[in-house]
Amino acid sequence: MPNKKMDRRGFLVSAAAVLAAPAVLRAQQVPAKPDRLIVNASGGDMGNAVLDAYGQVFTERTGIPVEMTSPHDLGKLRAMVESGNVEWDVTEISGDDGRIAVERGLLEPIDESIVDLSAYPAEARDPYLLTTSVYSTVLAYRSDVFTDAKPRTWADFWDVEAFPGRRSLGGGPEDNLEFALLADGVQLAELYPLDVDRAFRKLDEIRPHITAWWDSGAQHVQMLVDQEVVLSSAWNGRIFNAVGKGHPLEISWDGSSLHRAYFAIPRGAPNLHWSQQFLAAMTDPQAQATFANQLVSPGLNPRAAEYVDPTLAPYLPTTPENMQVSFWQDDLWWSQHMAEIKNRWQRWILG
Amino acid sequence: MTSTAFTSAAAERPFGRMMASATPGRSLLLLLPAFLVLGVILFMPLLDLAALSIDGGSFGPYVKALGDPLYVRVIGQTFQIALISTGICLILAYPLAYFMATTSPRLRILCLLLVALPFWTSVLVRTYAWMVLLGRNGIINRLLIDNGFIAEPLPLIYNKAGVILGTVYYLLPFMVLPIFAAMMRVDRQLLLAAEGLGASAVRRFFSIFLPLTLGGIGAGAALVFILALSAFITPALLGGGRVIMITNLIYTQVSQVLDWPFAAALSVLILVATIVAYSCIGLLTRRRWN
Repeated sequence: MPNKKMDRRGFLVSAAAVLAAPAVLRAQQVPAKPDRLIVNASGGDMGNAVLDAYGQVFTERTGIPVEMTSPHDLGKLRAMVESGNVEWDVTEISGDDGRIAVERGLLEPIDESIVDLSAYPAEARDPYLLTTSVYSTVLAYRSDVFTDAKPRTWADFWDVEAFPGRRSLGGGPEDNLEFALLADGVQLAELYPLDVDRAFRKLDEIRPHITAWWDSGAQHVQMLVDQEVVLSSAWNGRIFNAVGKGHPLEISWDGSSLHRAYFAIPRGAPNLHWSQQFLAAMTDPQAQATFANQLVSPGLNPRAAEYVDPTLAPYLPTTPENMQVSFWQDDLWWSQHMAEIKNRWQRWILG
Repeated sequence: MTSTAFTSAAAERPFGRMMASATPGRSLLLLLPAFLVLGVILFMPLLDLAALSIDGGSFGPYVKALGDPLYVRVIGQTFQIALISTGICLILAYPLAYFMATTSPRLRILCLLLVALPFWTSVLVRTYAWMVLLGRNGIINRLLIDNGFIAEPLPLIYNKAGVILGTVYYLLPFMVLPIFAAMMRVDRQLLLAAEGLGASAVRRFFSIFLPLTLGGIGAGAALVFILALSAFITPALLGGGRVIMITNLIYTQVSQVLDWPFAAALSVLILVATIVAYSCIGLLTRRRWN
């Protein structure tokens, strides 16, 4: 194991731990420290940002190095918990996956004596799932193709006369059913419970214009950049990064779908106390700001806003203006209807 | 029948005679280490999987898999893609293997390197490379449009053809190498003798060369077919979310819907289908071989 070797960083970390010794002595019942903490999350930019933002704060506080693994996978979580062989100390488990994990009893409760949630808005507090950041599925388009009239709403996305061109949407029913209903005139506040029949009828209209149903964040960016498509649903952080690299892309927040990224502790995690400590580090406002600055995906600690780069404000899904035209995806509703709708979606895709 | 053919052939060689004198019991003993390892790491989980698929003693998952037109269609589509990919691989691989077997040793080594080259990079990276090559504004469509061959870009990916192309590219080496090996083993003197006796080139190929390389074709076809059945990344990315294969279905059931008995039943079905296909290929090629 490379982690067991005492490299320079390891030395600095141990030195920091020695300096922090008085704090450690105060809490004498603290369980033994593991040689590292395994944190599992989506790979790529997300994993790097978790390590840079939260991993650093956690290691500074505890002296325990953090190792990232990926991807997050509900099936693997269940297999680990049920076989009693839990490898992850903390894992991302976002959206309806998180709800299903709670319902199946796959998670440890959050210890609020360690993870201070008092500053969090009430609707963001959950006994098992820590909302660490918010991201949004937005409408993205080529700004060099749509120079005069710009597509703004999902009704525009569906309007192939006014906004001609090839399109892409995500490869599953989540978000797509909502976008179809918005395109069909349903109001943001009246989306849930979803009228599934109506949504599929509306999806029938757009199907011939969809080049591909994207499978990953990397794929929708690549298709927009290559002009494989000129309009696509997309994750706000990915488009922000692509724009930063000089690609002519723009987004519209109108009808965007807000998602909570959840982190949680698998039931039976081997270093429970330190897992809770990691979640505590994830509520740190400065760490949340570091994360937000990298992925334009802010946390819910209200004090984090003080530290976020002010020039990024228009790109954050959580500004009051952007929130006003967005909806929170109801992951509880999805977790209850997932099996049935997934089956119908696959049938529809092949149909 | 095949076993008697094997022993009589083996008995002609000194090593074979030596082995034949050992009692069958003692040679079975040689299988023990492999059997123990495979038994623990392969058969036990497979039995576990089969048990999971009839969780609670019900054949419900199987009824669901074979009774729902969706799943029957996905299984059918999976077999169709695997079969077409195997066919195309064979058509491409046979002449290539023949060239490799008959060319100079130096060129042969170069060809072997080129054939094996794709193994050294990740399949994910290669699949993304295909997306860049085959897209509407990809290199191939650009070339065709710029030279006036076509006016509108061809839909080369995000459909079944894209999945087949990606699969063929990925699996071609698995077809080339066994056929090449079989061709290298063919005794050239047989062909010379046939020629001396006045057999035409076509006759020499169909009566001697092809039958002698059938074993390689069988091995290659079996490998490619089985790997194509279990392809996952290629259909997910090059199919544009439109081509659903059995593995994508199993993944959805395992990781998103958490219906494990159903996922296990689908896995058992595809396993049984694979064994049947494998046996058919074996019967078709081995009988002629002996």
